[in-house]
Amino acid sequence: MKLKTLALAGVATVAMAVPASAGATTLIGSGSTAAQPYLLPLFKSYSKIHPSIHFVYTADGGNAGVKDVQQGKSQFAAQARAPLPSDAGTTYIKLFLDGLCMDVNSANKLTNLSIQQVRDIYLGNLTSWAGVPGSGLSATIDPFGRDTNGGTYNFFVSSILNNKPPASTVTALLSDGLVANSVAKDPNAIGYNGLAYFPRKGIKPLKLNGVPCNALAVKKLRYPLTRYIWLVLPTANSSRKVEQFADWVRTSVKAGQIIAKAGGVPAFNDTAKKKHHKKK
Amino acid sequence: MDDALLFEERPHWWSDRRAELMLGALACGVLAVVLAMVVFVVTAAWPSFAHNGLHWFGPGGSVDNQIRTIFLSGDQGGPFRWQFHAWPLLWSTFLTTAAAVLISFFCSLFVALFIVEFAPSSVRQVLEPVIRLLASVPSVIYGLIGVLVIVPFIGNHLVSQHEKRSVAYVISLNGYSLAAAVLILTVMISPIMIAIFCDGLRSVPRGWVEASLGLGVNRWRTFWKIAVRTARPALIAGTVLATARALGEAVMLAMVSGSVGFAPNPFDGLIFLFEPSRPLAATILSNSEELSSPPMKHTLYAIAAVLLFSAAMLSLIGWAAKQPMKKYAVRA
Repeated sequence: MKLKTLALAGVATVAMAVPASAGATTLIGSGSTAAQPYLLPLFKSYSKIHPSIHFVYTADGGNAGVKDVQQGKSQFAAQARAPLPSDAGTTYIKLFLDGLCMDVNSANKLTNLSIQQVRDIYLGNLTSWAGVPGSGLSATIDPFGRDTNGGTYNFFVSSILNNKPPASTVTALLSDGLVANSVAKDPNAIGYNGLAYFPRKGIKPLKLNGVPCNALAVKKLRYPLTRYIWLVLPTANSSRKVEQFADWVRTSVKAGQIIAKAGGVPAFNDTAKKKHHKKK
Repeated sequence: MDDALLFEERPHWWSDRRAELMLGALACGVLAVVLAMVVFVVTAAWPSFAHNGLHWFGPGGSVDNQIRTIFLSGDQGGPFRWQFHAWPLLWSTFLTTAAAVLISFFCSLFVALFIVEFAPSSVRQVLEPVIRLLASVPSVIYGLIGVLVIVPFIGNHLVSQHEKRSVAYVISLNGYSLAAAVLILTVMISPIMIAIFCDGLRSVPRGWVEASLGLGVNRWRTFWKIAVRTARPALIAGTVLATARALGEAVMLAMVSGSVGFAPNPFDGLIFLFEPSRPLAATILSNSEELSSPPMKHTLYAIAAVLLFSAAMLSLIGWAAKQPMKKYAVRA
């Protein structure tokens, strides 16, 4: 008897859920984990404006997301790297900008590193702070980075290390947050984190090749570790509703605010401030 | 009238046997699922073993670079690369598991002996629920404690600059280390051992212990020679369960072990304890996103197959070790 009640309750729950979503459209996406913290608030806000549209997003990694789009499993993907020849059949749309900052412990006096120095540290050629003028330290460098799951890892390895794997001296951590934590706890550490992580107690972003890691330099594309976050659509038969979402993310004031709040840099959005400064 | 009819209609054998049949079917279902899983994992793992042969288990080259090469070869759709020498990962798994189980075994044995035989009942009433609670703490919590407290402590206080410099060209001694992994793993698996050891010690017949005490043998010797000896099958059962948990632990180890495909070398002296490594299960976790690359997928499944095989062997060894003890022991 009890079992029957339970089964009935189960059926009723399913039955109730179906009509609720019948009138709505669910857009299915997958891809970059780096883009996820930006996308989730964007999805939420967009669903508020367009109550009939819901999103399902699986953060399975940018490359996996593009494959999902190619195979028709996803209607869109988010990607944190530029298109490659293997991405045939997909269209990339620039959504907004993100910067990757090199950071050290706040006790470190260093303010600037060259790309070559960063490369030497992460390839294991430069192992002592004594070899880095301006650090005020003579200890061994403790480099931290992401494990291979991170889109941040791919971006760092391709843009700084020329696709060479990092040396065995680099400690690979599970998440960007753990990298920030390790740098804050270890006075001899160096790590990398997205713009969204700053300012934070205990860690200090460095200039790279003399360019500060901040929203302005990223927006003007002057900062070397600047990347676009892309939306990937199938070239044929892309969903009109996803395109509308992409337009909204790229251009609306509201989306710009959300992106900025999540730590990204809106690249195309009209902000109230920008309009004010526009030359006529 | 109605009731009598119902009674007539339902044959007795059905009401007697339905529980038995249902449970039997469930058990067979579980067996079938396990079998299907083993077949699935081994099939998916085979290409990696086939391409590497026995070298799969041997040393040679940097395992991290091999993983990257394998992943890229599949990701770029080009000719697949398969070379994979898992020795550093196997060695790391063995070291962390063996050290943690060994330390944990002796600590747990003494704690269990204390709880069962020596502790006053007020202490016992507090200790036992606390230990049960510890056994069910999720490993991420242990990992976080490791990352926030233990790893910085080891990195900032136990490793000297001289030691760091001596290996700076190969690895960083920054606290993410074998020592941190073993320490936390020991704390993680001890509660399981203690709980099972306690049950084992408690089921030793009182008469045997009292007879020994009555003969004038002192307490310590009695418990060591009678209680612990009799409870040996329970000790083995507890150790096997704890070892299985240690073998399969991924999240905590990925967080504190340093995640470097490096084989800690005991000949380096004491700093061997502070060297980073990465066990098998943690390797699956940290490379899980690369499943999209076919050769990488097979390689990860090969790691899973090795873990599965070790777990099976572990149960078998536990079972075999218990056999000769059955005669004069309590069942665990």
